Amino acid sequence: MKKLSQVCCSVFLCIATTVVCAQSFRVQCPSNTITHPDPNNAGVNNSEPTYSGPTNFSAGSNGYLVPSGNVNGAIKCQQVSGGDGYATMADGTQTFMFSFGPLSGLADIAAGLPGTQFPNIFNTLYASYNPHTPLQPGDPATTDGATDYGSGGTYQVGSSAFTWNGAVGEVPDVPYVATIYDISESGNTVTVVLNTQVPFSVGDQVIISGTGTAYDSPAGQAFTVTAVGVNNTFFASNFAFQYYNSKTGLAEINEPGNATAASLPVVDGHVDPRQIMDVGVMNGNIPAPLVAFDEDDELFLTLTNVGMLMRPDLFEQHTIHFHGYPNASSFYDGVPDASVAINIGGSFTYYYLAPDAGTYFWHCHITPPEHLQMGMVGQLYVRPRQNRLPSGTSLYTGLSWQQGDLRTACNPNTDILCSTTLPAAGDNGAVQGKDKLNSPQKYVYNDGDGSTAYDVEYPLQIHGFDPNFHFVGMTFNPEAFVDMKDKYFLLNGRSYPDTVTPGPQATQSSDGRMHYSQPMPSIINIPYQGKAALRIADLSVSEYTTLASLGIPMKVVGWNAKLLRDQEGNNTEYYTNSITLGGGESLDVILDASDASCGFAGCAAQLYPAGSVFYLYTPNLDHLSNDAENFGGLMTEVHICNSVTSSTYGNQCN
Amino acid sequence: MSQMNTKYAISNRPVLKLLVTLVVLLAIPATFAATPGITGGSKTPVFNLTAQDAYLNQPDGQGVYSWGYGCNGSPSAFLPAAIANATCPTMQVPGPTLIVTEGDMVTVNLTNNLPAAAGNTSILFPGFQVMAAAASVQPANCTANFATAASQTPQGLLVVEAAPGCTVSYTFTASTPGTHAYYSGTQGDLQIEMGLYGALIILPANPPAACDSTNTNLYGQQDWATANHIPGAPEKDFRLAHAAYDHAKTCYDREYLFQWAEMDPNIHKAAVAQVTAKSGCTPGAPGCSLNIATEPYHPAYFVINGRSMPDLMDPNYAAEYPHQPYNGNPHMHPGERTLIRTIGQGRWQHPFHEHANHVRILARDGNLILTPDAQALAGILMFDTDTTPGDAFDGIFYFTARGLNWDAYGHHAPAPGTTPGTGASDPYGDTLATLPCIPDANGYNTGNPAALNYYEWCQDHNKPVQKAPFGDVEAGGPATLPDPNIFTNGAWYGGTPYFGPDATLRAGNPNCASTTNANCTLLQPSNIQANPANERGWAFMWHSHNEREITTNNVFPGGMLMMMLVDSREFVIDESN
Repeated sequence: MKKLSQVCCSVFLCIATTVVCAQSFRVQCPSNTITHPDPNNAGVNNSEPTYSGPTNFSAGSNGYLVPSGNVNGAIKCQQVSGGDGYATMADGTQTFMFSFGPLSGLADIAAGLPGTQFPNIFNTLYASYNPHTPLQPGDPATTDGATDYGSGGTYQVGSSAFTWNGAVGEVPDVPYVATIYDISESGNTVTVVLNTQVPFSVGDQVIISGTGTAYDSPAGQAFTVTAVGVNNTFFASNFAFQYYNSKTGLAEINEPGNATAASLPVVDGHVDPRQIMDVGVMNGNIPAPLVAFDEDDELFLTLTNVGMLMRPDLFEQHTIHFHGYPNASSFYDGVPDASVAINIGGSFTYYYLAPDAGTYFWHCHITPPEHLQMGMVGQLYVRPRQNRLPSGTSLYTGLSWQQGDLRTACNPNTDILCSTTLPAAGDNGAVQGKDKLNSPQKYVYNDGDGSTAYDVEYPLQIHGFDPNFHFVGMTFNPEAFVDMKDKYFLLNGRSYPDTVTPGPQATQSSDGRMHYSQPMPSIINIPYQGKAALRIADLSVSEYTTLASLGIPMKVVGWNAKLLRDQEGNNTEYYTNSITLGGGESLDVILDASDASCGFAGCAAQLYPAGSVFYLYTPNLDHLSNDAENFGGLMTEVHICNSVTSSTYGNQCN
Repeated sequence: MSQMNTKYAISNRPVLKLLVTLVVLLAIPATFAATPGITGGSKTPVFNLTAQDAYLNQPDGQGVYSWGYGCNGSPSAFLPAAIANATCPTMQVPGPTLIVTEGDMVTVNLTNNLPAAAGNTSILFPGFQVMAAAASVQPANCTANFATAASQTPQGLLVVEAAPGCTVSYTFTASTPGTHAYYSGTQGDLQIEMGLYGALIILPANPPAACDSTNTNLYGQQDWATANHIPGAPEKDFRLAHAAYDHAKTCYDREYLFQWAEMDPNIHKAAVAQVTAKSGCTPGAPGCSLNIATEPYHPAYFVINGRSMPDLMDPNYAAEYPHQPYNGNPHMHPGERTLIRTIGQGRWQHPFHEHANHVRILARDGNLILTPDAQALAGILMFDTDTTPGDAFDGIFYFTARGLNWDAYGHHAPAPGTTPGTGASDPYGDTLATLPCIPDANGYNTGNPAALNYYEWCQDHNKPVQKAPFGDVEAGGPATLPDPNIFTNGAWYGGTPYFGPDATLRAGNPNCASTTNANCTLLQPSNIQANPANERGWAFMWHSHNEREITTNNVFPGGMLMMMLVDSREFVIDESN
């Protein structure tokens, strides 16, 4: 099926135009690649293997290196829409956005989780591809039964009935269909002469239909191509192929034109645009869908531009800028001036090999002052391979292994831009163990000493909306930039008190449907004596913002997706109770509630007892407001819990 | 007086430019930047500066009334010497970049030629022990109005100032190398806003020998050029020094200086109105002063080196900007260590986002940040380097395309049975497609300094990106490249996922024209000027990530935005304009 993997569009267009495969919407999510081979088709890239040594390479037959041992990482895929939508501000105002929305991983996104999936999840068809149970506009909120604000003034999330995480729109595709000119048989060998060049290869499966005779493939069966390029009396040899047929004695037929030879349907990234439009239009999220994957993964991130329902006058392109990707290619950098931009009606799959672990973020790079202010900003982080060390492995040993692959090594003597130097203090004895949730211990970086370990993690996006700008953005151009003034100050797209409301927040859109507009609360639940990693990214378009922690110290371990460590391996992490970021900056903070003492001698109480509540808030005091409401803004709560269940975002405080 | 007002409203540049910003953008020729400045002689350099007013040109067609420092007479010399058309006008923003060497005894004589109503002015050199005194000889229009030395060069709040028409002399020892700011120490909320700021670069007295001996050819660019690939056009050295500090970890290959500031046109309008109204008033007399509100503050121009994009990327000393001589147009070859000298000169912070890679902070205000044993660097890595008012930092940047997981040069293995590096090995006779990549200890191809693909990341050598063949570039990669019919592309787009003219050529027309290959999917660049066919570098945006600042007076694009290009070695980066 080699040919099938190369198909990028419907057969009719491909065969008619042999120069360019025209396309509109599509996704890409291969189950294997050069970097992540799966020779036995065993689905090895559908899970993350443990990291037990650096990847070994050997020279492949095609002249480039191929992995030959310790193949690390897997394949991840995600699809997002570029378009528009509405969000609900904490004062109840519906605000128009230019925005990204989820077009894969819908259930996970609704649960506040990353929408990034392994190939087998991404390529799972909705309702097993039953045309009578299509996705509904507004899904997953529609299937969940989400409704507008209820009697208590709170919106109703509904059930969690929607559990599917595949790629919206993906349907089986018949890569090649060709009409038959003549079909004949000699013994068990059938020779088919097509009206076009044979698109099949030896070994491909073909379905013969419409011959009106016994040549037609029996239901559910296909023939295997045994030869292509067969001399015949009608056309050139490359118009004919042969297959083996157990049935013999069939007479030759010169077909009238409705007989076809077709490939078997496969799931190869072909999509049904109806489903894309049904779900993708007006499904904007703030923050944009969360992207998270692991070091050594390959990520196929598809942007599908569905257009903006509320702004039919605009022909806005969109792009994805993976902010902070080290040694980025210009091609996948998403800057329209230096690359391509995706027009309405098109899809583009961005391809990345996971960079070094860290907290990055992503956003559209079209007219950034406008598209970022209007909401096209999302979070993105890469987990370290140290998370994948076998239990009991020395963290120092694990980091030493990474020196064995030049791509993952950090040699400070020659590379001025790497930070995961081996710890200067040597092996401090830290080994891979369990966190307070009894899951494998997680880290923000490959630290080699456990200094970035945490129990629970929370992406926190700082952003601001200027309601005047959004109103102008919904109605007419031009917008003014000089007097841009944010009035809603957002943590993960919500202001206090919405930041502490569990579950997804839904907004009724112009189609009358509820949409999950703001899926991520910002409740920080920390298990007793535990540590929470806050992956903080500031996407504000207009100003610097400070976020402070009342009570629990902030341990800053990373800055701009790099471990805070000098070139001799000394950690330069520091404790503080406030951090300040400008637009386009990120850092990693560990809220460290591990201290079980009471803070001073002789006291009875503990510093961070279970059941206590602390606050994250902005000391930019004018940002503690929701437009005209002098209350709210950039603030959320930190809960110390007896325990938390599940290691995922939005976890339960017990 | 009406003349000045008129000049503000109707500048000497066409207002039409507001409407055709993008067209202008497309017409940008390949010009480069370096770190131009002036010198004042050896050991005891002297700089004679003047503070004056003039109009700054902005891409919306406005001329913005401003004050700036400039040269009072010709400077001792211009650096780098190879940059053509160097000038030092009597007013420029930023002020002249003063280039001295560590240990020099520096004298700066500042004459206050601002309008009389502007009052006194001065210069602060933060970080240095400055002695100030009246110049021994004062201009006649100084002595006419001010009889005593105390009134000619009075002690201001922060520093000794020059009264209108008078000259103050500052002397200090250039004690610490690196990039430093200088700016007005008099009513800074107004005078710095009006443009009275500049940069002082102090070169290390003892740059490490390792930098000197190896850095000239450290990355082999000159070797490449002189290996007769580009006869007669060797790559020139535009560095001011070979190291930023007296430390072997601070060697560099290129350098650029970026000074960030913003301007509120209301303040500038008020200044020109009041200066005009009080034209001819007696310096120092009651009422011969300005009363300009500097709050509330609504900047509309966000400038780097006094210019907004796209003017920013025009050449140094371009005639269109007689009072804004310095540009921002960084270029580099893969692997070259680029020194980024940055100063926050306005009143706001700006997150300076360098696309393409991180920046290692070397030093702040000339203070090298080292590990406890002073042997290695300890400054943090940032992809957004905050520019903070009054703060200067030096950072090191480089780009190699490491770890992308495909061959960024579009190489492919020689065909079976053919000889690598010969025309016969490639169906199109392109020997550059089959260059070898031999990894050094860090994985880069550095064994042959004259190799075209010097500093290629070898782990991905020959590895395809596209599933299907892309021109002459082999197939089998993970990704399916886009259909050119449904994409828009920009002025700096190279046309392919590959790097350098030969690579994009291989992925492009010659082969597509002669083959029936169904996957000859070339996305033609939309222009041939900003990143022309003989360049085809990878372009990255370097800009303020408080994104509203990449606008000019409410119009996008503009403001604090420039494109950085990583160029193949086939393309000589000539920073001499």
